[in-house]
Amino acid sequence: MIQLNHINLTLPEFSLKDITLEIQKNDFFSLIGPTGSGKSLLLEGMMGLIPFSSGTMFLENHDITTLAVEKRNLALVYQDFALFPHLDVTQNIFYGVSYHKIPKLTAQKRFDALVSTLGLEKITKRRPQHLSGGEKQRIALARSLILNPNVLLLDEPLSALDPIFHEDAKQLLKKIHDDLEITVIMVSHNFSDVLYLANRGAIIKNGRIMQQGDIMSIFEQPNSTFTASFVGMKNITPICRQNNHIVIKDINIEIAISHPPGINDTYMGIRPEDISLTASSSNHFKNCFQGNITKITSHGIFLNIYLQTENFQFEAIWPRSYLRDHGLDIGKTVAFGFHPESVHTF
Amino acid sequence: MKRIEPLNWLFMFMSLPLILLLTLPLIKMTFEPSMEMMIETLSDKDVVNAIARSISLSFCAGILSFAMGTPLAYLLARKRIVGKKIIEGIIDLPIMIPHPVVGIAFLSLTGRNNPIGRFLSDIGIQIMGTQTGIVCVLLFVGLPFYINTVKAGFESVPIRLENASRTLGAGAFSTFVRITFPLTWRHMILGIIMCTARAISEFGAVVIVAYHPMTAPVMIYERFTAYGLKYSQPIAVWLILISFILFIVLRMLSKSINHEYR
Repeated sequence: MIQLNHINLTLPEFSLKDITLEIQKNDFFSLIGPTGSGKSLLLEGMMGLIPFSSGTMFLENHDITTLAVEKRNLALVYQDFALFPHLDVTQNIFYGVSYHKIPKLTAQKRFDALVSTLGLEKITKRRPQHLSGGEKQRIALARSLILNPNVLLLDEPLSALDPIFHEDAKQLLKKIHDDLEITVIMVSHNFSDVLYLANRGAIIKNGRIMQQGDIMSIFEQPNSTFTASFVGMKNITPICRQNNHIVIKDINIEIAISHPPGINDTYMGIRPEDISLTASSSNHFKNCFQGNITKITSHGIFLNIYLQTENFQFEAIWPRSYLRDHGLDIGKTVAFGFHPESVHTF
Repeated sequence: MKRIEPLNWLFMFMSLPLILLLTLPLIKMTFEPSMEMMIETLSDKDVVNAIARSISLSFCAGILSFAMGTPLAYLLARKRIVGKKIIEGIIDLPIMIPHPVVGIAFLSLTGRNNPIGRFLSDIGIQIMGTQTGIVCVLLFVGLPFYINTVKAGFESVPIRLENASRTLGAGAFSTFVRITFPLTWRHMILGIIMCTARAISEFGAVVIVAYHPMTAPVMIYERFTAYGLKYSQPIAVWLILISFILFIVLRMLSKSINHEYR
């Protein structure tokens, strides 16, 4: 288990403020935030590469706050993999073995197993600069995993990869976590990667933790407009509470909800994929509206649809085929709706 | 046929006077002495000694710059040091100040009237008129070239590689030996060559600190003032040839540095 208690890290141009985190053994924990939010800095601080200004860090109840980086037995895989260019793949993977006093035979067994699992058999004698991004990442993982670290720290492991390697790398990280039962801390700015890989996580903004907990609870119950928009929620707007429903502030649109909002909740959000087309007479959704399609923007195989009601513009995401099948286009009036369960308040 | 841009023609035309300025005096001087004269010069023991002394003492300065300048170059490249810009300015100072001033400064510091001079004398180190003195001033004038070259080398190694080594269990010293040094040794060789090449050409500071034992530039000056141009030219040609070979090696090395690990 890793515990960070009230960590502060002050640099001339940026600081981490009062970070408190608890990461359980075998967690796949993700530090999530936009670029420049301080998540990689926190990772380097945990690794011991940059000393914390204040606060404490415990690993399995041992205080490692001031322990030298090489003695922590944490492994860090950089975004650009940081492979040593003057060493071949085998030498890169064996680099740390001598420092961890791993017997030669054990190291060789681990090497053989990793090379086989990660599909590196054909490139063991090659230099890293002649390899693809996916291969480099697997070498960097093997180089760390041969040391059998307590925790594997991954700094944006998927963002430097070509799209063709992205999916394979995701599966590989999942497999490594599941097979080796290792604690993984991954920095990422892509929530869909996090949703697939991590079971717990924390959202960081400007060096502060905004929310932490189970990934699904962050996804479903964001506690701020920032987190809500970061996890892909749209239709975020201020609300007023009424008995069994909420009202969009200033424009008096009633929204049915499945459970009463929290006492401090002042905003609502609805995922755009939760808004569906409906027949105008249907009350299937409890929240039904009529609106004009004012704008359609491409979102890959999906389209963002902007639906203007009398007082409020909703945003939905529908597949291209959906529009084609229903003959929808800009200027058309449509009936649409969403379930009360789809309304999130925070 | 590949068409040359008009701008390139203009730049080539503008570069021509500069190339001529660099090459004409050297070509003229190089081809002026006859082959007999050149061979005869080499049979003069004093000339051979002076050239050998120039090269060996300059190489000594180059090796010393490696031993003493490498840690400083590393600190300047990697660490946040208070007054770093001032230190960098001081290192570049020998490039700017007139070199006879360097010689005078060395003499005033190491004279018997100065405590440092007395201390050096007490432990048996003489600066005035010795090879030790020559190496000191050659190191002084050559050090900026070594430090700046090697500092650029250290800066070209991503700090993440050193950090990655630390995360894999290597200490700071191991990381320097196994990662930083193998990725920068070519810059160090280049720095030693730069420092040595600069030291070979040094005259102003050497002539004040040690007229004797004579280095090649001092001998060229002596032959010129005592016997005229004809007798000084062959020594200068030999010195130019050696410097030219050194710089060819330097260029080839710097080329290999640019292509390595890319």
